[in-house]
Amino acid sequence: MSIAEVRGLTKKYPAFTLDDVSFSIDGGKITGFIGRNGAGKTTTIKSMLNLIHPDGGEIRYFGMPLTGNEKEIKKRTGYSTGTVNWYPRKKIRDIVNIVRRFYDTWDDDSYRKYLELFSLDETKAPSELSEGMKVKFNLLIALSHRAEVLILDEPTSGLDPFSRNELLDIFTGLKNEGVAVFFSTHIISDIEKCADDIVYISKGKIVSASSKEAFMEQHSHEGESLEDTMLRMERGDFDE
Amino acid sequence: MRVKALKIPCSGWKGVILMSNIMLKEIKLSASPLAFFFIPFGFMVFLPGYPILCGAFFVTLGIFQSFQTAREANDIVFSALLPVAKKDVVKGKYIFVCLIEICSVILMMIGTAVRMTALADSPVYRENALMNANLFALGMAFVIFGLFNLIFVGGFFKTAYKIGRPYVIYIIVAFIVIGLAETLHHIPGLEALNAFGTDHIGLQVVLLISGMLIFVLLTLLAYNRACNDFEKIDL
Repeated sequence: MSIAEVRGLTKKYPAFTLDDVSFSIDGGKITGFIGRNGAGKTTTIKSMLNLIHPDGGEIRYFGMPLTGNEKEIKKRTGYSTGTVNWYPRKKIRDIVNIVRRFYDTWDDDSYRKYLELFSLDETKAPSELSEGMKVKFNLLIALSHRAEVLILDEPTSGLDPFSRNELLDIFTGLKNEGVAVFFSTHIISDIEKCADDIVYISKGKIVSASSKEAFMEQHSHEGESLEDTMLRMERGDFDE
Repeated sequence: MRVKALKIPCSGWKGVILMSNIMLKEIKLSASPLAFFFIPFGFMVFLPGYPILCGAFFVTLGIFQSFQTAREANDIVFSALLPVAKKDVVKGKYIFVCLIEICSVILMMIGTAVRMTALADSPVYRENALMNANLFALGMAFVIFGLFNLIFVGGFFKTAYKIGRPYVIYIIVAFIVIGLAETLHHIPGLEALNAFGTDHIGLQVVLLISGMLIFVLLTLLAYNRACNDFEKIDL
């Protein structure tokens, strides 16, 4: 079942255009959003989080348009925007104590579980965290309020291989609970390991949005890995 | 005609809880301690031989610092990502700003009441070329705060980033208004603006209420514009 839909999303910048981006995200599935740096991943995700104002197109969650329903939708959505530093000098505990008030569904058990799993110290401030730990702090908040869909911008960037593996396992666990996980990455092995669906963006346009198997079937040559296929496609060598 | 289109922000019970949560966020995470530090500058009404409206200006300086601190902490994007409507982010900022301003105005009112009664005949205040602490001065403090809400806070929400330009424009306008307020009572026929004690109390009350109305109108106008601007910009 489609939990989130992006239809005809367009955003024009002087030197870049996000052009007619469309795809959907299903519940109980992990969707990897892949593309090289500057392909339009963050612009798309920012539009999905209502942080930027698209020139055209529509974004819907749970059958409702984001415009006009953002409060209700954001309560049911978790997000992480990578290594952004929120309130760098405040203690994590103080930030969380404020954030939890905004969610009726805040789950203290989940919060404690992920705090321990991510080895985060509540008494530390974000400015004292490494880049990888900042990502984990963002994820901690996203995972602690029983979100039905997670929109994550580069959640694995800056993480060590062990933490990355742990995180991908967490995604699989959440998927099994029916959560829709949508994460952007430029690390193809992340997609290879856990994604069910692939949305591939290049130069502001969606090249492919399908299941991983359908993607491989349509684009891969015999014996080619997903990484080889994507590298070849990025060079402009398409094989329909 | 524009005034007709102003929407007065009001909320149901859920809205009150939401706004109290936003206020907690403003106070505990976003605000600079300087915003609170400058509140007692409302008592500058007691300083003899000092432009009385500068107290109101210092309070806005503290709020400006708070916006700078919040910007460095990515506060606006953080707030926009919370499960709140974008206009609630704007409303939260305006309520916080008005809260600081009103706290300071209460101190100014206390100080002015003392100067209008117990200290009404004090020579140190009587022999003063500058403006006297009276209800007109309080009304003008409300005007300064209204201008801050319109020019600085409203200007900030055009980009949710640039604070320097709207603050410089506000400083220029604020000091022109302070200069005018300080000068007016020297113009023949306008001496009643500088009334001592309860002299010309009818006129003084009207001037205070006018200042309050200007504050409310400028703030509502700024809030409505800021909601529209903030909805359009990219964060």
